[in-house]
Amino acid sequence: MSVLSTPKDEVAEKQPHSNWLMTQIRKPEWSPYAAGTMLGITVALSLLLAGQMPGSSGSFENLIAFLGSKLDANNIYFRFIMPAGITWQVWLMLGVFLGAFASAWLSHDFRWRKMPDKQWISVFGSARWKRWLIAFIGGAILEIGAGIAGGCTSGLAISGGVQLAPAAFLFIPGMFISGIITAAIIYRKNF
Amino acid sequence: MSTVVIPLIIGLAFGWSLHKAGMTRYHKIVNLFRLTDLAVLKFMMAAMVVGVGLIYAFVGFGWVTLAISTPVYVLGNFVGGLVFGVGMAGAGF
Repeated sequence: MSVLSTPKDEVAEKQPHSNWLMTQIRKPEWSPYAAGTMLGITVALSLLLAGQMPGSSGSFENLIAFLGSKLDANNIYFRFIMPAGITWQVWLMLGVFLGAFASAWLSHDFRWRKMPDKQWISVFGSARWKRWLIAFIGGAILEIGAGIAGGCTSGLAISGGVQLAPAAFLFIPGMFISGIITAAIIYRKNF
Repeated sequence: MSTVVIPLIIGLAFGWSLHKAGMTRYHKIVNLFRLTDLAVLKFMMAAMVVGVGLIYAFVGFGWVTLAISTPVYVLGNFVGGLVFGVGMAGAGF
């Protein structure tokens, strides 16, 4: 824990990296264009090396299907569309978690947080239960939407988009339309 | 090996780029929909430009076949997107 709470100036002292690569690794944030380029290369290599495209929402469905198919053995969704299993996508999701963790840890951005850093409190107040409740409900809505559409931001919008799949370009406008409306309702005072 | 190690490595790169782009932060996601910070859009578009170029080059060389997993279902894809956007803007994931 002591490593996590190292004061900022101490961190600066510890890293006099003239090495360009180390500087990039330790940066908490890259230009979105640089990070996006890395993601584009990653998804292309995924197709080349594995013949599969990454997606995130599916892995949660593969995992919850273990419970879902126990509760309702005849459930068509869990029997045919998202069967239970430790699938390729589940391993990928573990990698995503570890990759984001490594990036956060190496850039001294890793902290245990119970609330978002910015903005949340200005709209919803500082009640922790509110954040957890809305995060839970929002997560559930998001997963239902991904189930209906057949993918999420990664599995459909990006993985589908880079293959010019029509479904991706139906999903993206839908996501933006309702996202903008939802944000306008939540932030109506200062949208 | 190929069913565990390769997805793990691809996932590592994926997660790394997500964190470096700030996609793990509530305000980044929500401000996209408030149109005050378009980092998410820049990130997604950059990924698409690079990804489309590489993938269609690979297809041209005959190295890969496309793996489109989501069939076109106009109403479903669009309505799913509408439902998804509500959750995304609310939770900030």
